[in-house]
Amino acid sequence: MALIPADLFFAPVTELNARLKAREFTAEDLARAFSERLQQQGPRFNALALSLHQEALRAAKEVDKELKRGRYRGPLQGVPYGVKDLLAYAGQPTTWGAKPYAGQVFDYHATVIEKLSAVGAVLTGKLAMVELAGGGGYRFPSASLTGPGLNPWDRTRWSGGSSSGSAAAVAAGLVPFAIGSETSGSIVTPASYCGVTALRPTYGLVSRHGAMALSWTLDKLGPFAHTAEDCGLILHEIAGGDSKDPGSAGKSFYYTPQYARPLKDLRVGYAKVDFAEWAEASTRPAFDAALTVLKASGLQLVETKLPDFPYGAALSTILNGEMGSIFEPLIQSGKVDELADKPQIAGLKASLELPAKEYLKAMRLRRLIQEEVAKLFGNVDVLLAPGRPTIASKLDQPLDRSPAGAAPPPKDPGFRSIIQMGNLAGLPALVLPCGFAENMPVALQLVGAPFAENTLLAIGRDFQSHTDWHRRRPQ
Amino acid sequence: MKLTRRNLATLLATVPATVLASGAAAAAQPPTAPADDLKAARDRMQQNAAALDKASIPVATEPAFQFKV
Repeated sequence: MALIPADLFFAPVTELNARLKAREFTAEDLARAFSERLQQQGPRFNALALSLHQEALRAAKEVDKELKRGRYRGPLQGVPYGVKDLLAYAGQPTTWGAKPYAGQVFDYHATVIEKLSAVGAVLTGKLAMVELAGGGGYRFPSASLTGPGLNPWDRTRWSGGSSSGSAAAVAAGLVPFAIGSETSGSIVTPASYCGVTALRPTYGLVSRHGAMALSWTLDKLGPFAHTAEDCGLILHEIAGGDSKDPGSAGKSFYYTPQYARPLKDLRVGYAKVDFAEWAEASTRPAFDAALTVLKASGLQLVETKLPDFPYGAALSTILNGEMGSIFEPLIQSGKVDELADKPQIAGLKASLELPAKEYLKAMRLRRLIQEEVAKLFGNVDVLLAPGRPTIASKLDQPLDRSPAGAAPPPKDPGFRSIIQMGNLAGLPALVLPCGFAENMPVALQLVGAPFAENTLLAIGRDFQSHTDWHRRRPQ
Repeated sequence: MKLTRRNLATLLATVPATVLASGAAAAAQPPTAPADDLKAARDRMQQNAAALDKASIPVATEPAFQFKV
């Protein structure tokens, strides 16, 4: 049995796969090392929902047999990974991070897991999450069956949610990559707070069959990894039409960095106020430096405004309408009271009272938002904003608390609603670590037109070739 | 059982971190009456409705049900 060097726990997928093929170690060695690390260290961050150690070793042995025969299935072959515990794995608990579903077992695998198995990736565990992916609106980091997600950079701070375990496990080198989900910010937020690269794909690009539904028209699955390149390779494998997902766009994704447009041809819309005023003061030097790198790469940064809509109200209303219908049996049965977060319980109960006319008004407004966003992408290729304008909050602070001593908010909203806008319009987003403030990670988010993932990834790849923030690791 | 330093290190590494960081563990949820939480949730829904009411939606606008971008 080969010893896995410690630095490999933070290596990109491409390097792991190359060294596997070079027979420096076996897939079984790699799976065992990562799986044991996940078992031992996952609980330190409340990141582990369920270890699949034995299953991982069995799958890895099959990969070794294939490699011995010279059968190569691509860059994820033999690479361990984890999934947010809202994805079904046959015969094992899928808790959705919530006590009422602690004993839930499905008899099928989620499509994403099937697809990753088909290319030889090795699932080592299910990763913790905010209960019901935050449906109902949680107010405290403790809103999870496994306790608050703890940030690998500082365990007195929150990891972000709702894909808490997915982000923390990648940041701590417990898995080389992970799958998470986003309805409104659940990939962007934890990736930003934990300092990992992540991709929220265009709505419908990745099948959600076997994933917990929170909102049929908003939910998306996407990868967390160490590099933009890895995100591209993972999306290449998990994207594609699926008749089992009614929201599937029926499109594939081919990661083709070689055909990316020259960066000097790309117009990047941004709002100065996001970086100069909305961003917490301690984060501004990191953002300034990141903007300098982007400009030096030839990108044309142009000041832009988002179309004026009540994005937050529209998103919350749509989410309430769909979530209320999905979780009506939980709410009516009274089992909703078993959830950890009291405001979330109340939010779920109140969602049943949403009038149909409100839901439909929000969905009609959403149509207008989509049309205006399409026009916006006639003027710019990409939108740029802070991943989050703050560093991760302390665990003892409610999530809706304003920072102490915060200045009055700027009058210009900038891109404050970019997460809601992006999710309402089904847009892809890439999160790139771009520095540190108070020893905590800070990140950028790039948002593109529907199915423009390759453009985002090209910018991300270039940015990461000029910076090393994505290579930093917590002590 | 004799507890070696290695045993202790393993134990500390695997204890749920909330136990270790009890001083800064999850924010204790302040005791609120469920009725207060429910009222707050309803108020948020009303605020959303008020915000949506301010938006002008042309009569021909259909909901974004066919969501294939």
